[in-house]
Amino acid sequence: MRAGDIFGLGAQAIGVVTRVSPAIHGRDLTEGYLSQPALMAVLSPWGEALTLKATVNLEGLTIERGELTPGIYGEGYIDRRHPHTYLHELLVTSAHRFRPDGVSGASITVGKGFAPFGTDDPMARPFEKYPINHHLAQILERAVAIGAVRAGPWIFEAGAFNGDEPTGPGDVPNRNRYWDSWSGRITFVPWPQGEFQTSYARVKSPENPTGGGADQRKQSASIRLEDVQHSGYALFEWARTGDYVGSGRTFSFTSLLAETSARYDRMSGALRIESTERPDEQRLLDEFRTPVPGTDLSIAGRSRWTIISGRVAANVVNARSFTIEPFAEVGRAKVSPTLRPSGFDPRQFYGSDRIWSVSVGARLAFGMPHMRMGRYGVAIAEKPRAKMGGMNMDNM
Amino acid sequence: MQTDASAMRILMNRSILWCAVFLASACGSDKSVTPPTTSHALTTLGEGRVTERFTGEIWVRGNIAYTTTWGSRSALGNAIKIWDVSGNVPALVDSVIVPNASTLGDIQASDDGQLLIVATEFSPGSIMIYSLADPVKPQLISRYMTALTAPGVHTAEVQRVNGVLYAFLSVDPASGTPARLVIADLSNPAAPTQVFTAVMGSPYVHDVFVRDGILMTALWNQGITIWDIGGAGNGSVSNPIALGNVQTVGGQVHNIWWFHNGVTGEKRYAFVGQEGPGAVGVASSGDIHVVDVSNFASPHEVAFYHLDGAGTHNFSVDETRGVLYAAYYNGGVRAIDITGDLSSCSAADRSADGRCDLAKMGREVAHGLGDVGPVYVWGVQLVGSTLFASDMLNGIWKLTAQ
Repeated sequence: MRAGDIFGLGAQAIGVVTRVSPAIHGRDLTEGYLSQPALMAVLSPWGEALTLKATVNLEGLTIERGELTPGIYGEGYIDRRHPHTYLHELLVTSAHRFRPDGVSGASITVGKGFAPFGTDDPMARPFEKYPINHHLAQILERAVAIGAVRAGPWIFEAGAFNGDEPTGPGDVPNRNRYWDSWSGRITFVPWPQGEFQTSYARVKSPENPTGGGADQRKQSASIRLEDVQHSGYALFEWARTGDYVGSGRTFSFTSLLAETSARYDRMSGALRIESTERPDEQRLLDEFRTPVPGTDLSIAGRSRWTIISGRVAANVVNARSFTIEPFAEVGRAKVSPTLRPSGFDPRQFYGSDRIWSVSVGARLAFGMPHMRMGRYGVAIAEKPRAKMGGMNMDNM
Repeated sequence: MQTDASAMRILMNRSILWCAVFLASACGSDKSVTPPTTSHALTTLGEGRVTERFTGEIWVRGNIAYTTTWGSRSALGNAIKIWDVSGNVPALVDSVIVPNASTLGDIQASDDGQLLIVATEFSPGSIMIYSLADPVKPQLISRYMTALTAPGVHTAEVQRVNGVLYAFLSVDPASGTPARLVIADLSNPAAPTQVFTAVMGSPYVHDVFVRDGILMTALWNQGITIWDIGGAGNGSVSNPIALGNVQTVGGQVHNIWWFHNGVTGEKRYAFVGQEGPGAVGVASSGDIHVVDVSNFASPHEVAFYHLDGAGTHNFSVDETRGVLYAAYYNGGVRAIDITGDLSSCSAADRSADGRCDLAKMGREVAHGLGDVGPVYVWGVQLVGSTLFASDMLNGIWKLTAQ
């Protein structure tokens, strides 16, 4: 076994300038960031029998004010994407294949990371700008215990985790909330590059760390396709989150998303269409922030964001373990309240119900390519290759 | 994995069908309802319109009304509106902009009319203390804020206990900081001093009610707790002694009114507002709960009032006539007869858990603002025979009381 099979290390960061028009009260804003700075490491001293995975995210240092992203919300930020926690992932996985040459097997995973729910983290997908359904379609940065079983094309996962969302980059899961929430995911893999998944989660009081807030019941279904050469990719996703007080549902928020990307030689392009409902909440003096926890169980309104985004990129440097990929992304959002009359009127608040976003930047990466994020052990649809050349561990 | 083409097609078809069934079974929608009523309508006299901000609480003294503002519309909720309400149509006289505030929840004048106190959210949470020497030109005396009030002051109740004026501040929880009550002595309004504080509420303390040396705290899912602050024994404002607690059905306790019957002198009932989930403008939920507090040590719920499709917020009570006026958000205003024995009713008017249902008993005697288009009524205040209502969507309304 070579060193590259045992240990992998990678790093990435994205320098980006974003202009949003209008961003707030009729004003345009242009801002620059070092987004998604991350260090990734994987250690597998005994193959799949024991894998340690760690991802350190430094956004708490670089985008503490949040990254302008029209429509996005969560963890006390609104219309700016929140920084993730410094310790994004730290997990130990032990997997066993039932036959040495087969995909069927079982695994257990413990640590801090993604609950078995929904789709891949947007950080591991084509666009720099996150879709706004991040908090509908993924559950992340939790203390998780996950069991997974794969039988041929079927993958079954179940996990328990803490319901409380992080409240800041340095936050850690609240110990008294461990295992108060659960999720399960079923994935069907009819061929190695095709995945059909559906998942369900019950999350206890995610927005009130001490408990007592609204609970969530989440559903997700998706189809993910990718060609063998990893040059073409498509994702079709549906997600819904219902807020519950006791057994009574108060509001639900639904998202439909389709995104695709294609790569030809050094050039790549991507397209994303998203229609997502979000809760509109009271805002702080900094109107890109919302109180955490809220002061009661009510919302100001609910709006539907229909966003079309396009991206072009060129991989100008692709040395053995170093890449530089300049890119440009354009997004156009249409906002409409779905509850009327509403405590949030986008035309009153933004100055328009149509918002443009333009971003230009470059992604720098070193070492191990960014892995898919959100699955562990045998739940990773494509079995890791028996021998990983150098640091190429993109299927881990 | 190897599979032949036909097996692949079967798998594909099954999986697509499987996903379609999942998607279809998950479909649903939020309900929108219109609150029904059979009681008579209060007469609407006039409206003072506010469109650039959402309106919050109301306080009326003489011919002057003060309303606060909430959240973000085309402007932040940082304005106090001052109204001349001597005519049928409230006329805007002036506005005061409060710096470093995004929501002004609560507003109240002191009993002597000298001071106006306004709660501010969010960080930096505080109370603004104004002089009402000229009622239409409030002059800032001081801004009271400490590290403990920093997350935001949700409500500020101003009451006199043993001749001393106090402000009871219900402070929001924040990340890592639980909700708490802060009591400040306003004897010197230029320099209020904290006399008591304690963490309380699960997860919120939303409001209090103070009367006769008794403090009642609205503790959300912990119900209400009754404290002696000088009216029932050895307690004091600086050392409240808990006397009793009751968890009302459904929790979510937002506000309280301890009813002193102006005719009989009876002090048996406290009315508790439940603030359930809602969406500004369209939906609200939560009942009025009637708690028998004749024995402070063992308060217990005896009755409730429920309105389909709407939930209650703040109250004002005509204690002489025994009518409770309740702001009911999208349900407008409801007037409820609270005279007599509210714990006694026929079996048909009783809920499964034994409480009397005031709606079934026909105790809703009037409703208001049901015919003026969409409203979202935050607060009400009775002044003589006139009822004032603050409406988040529209501003301020003047109505004829029941």
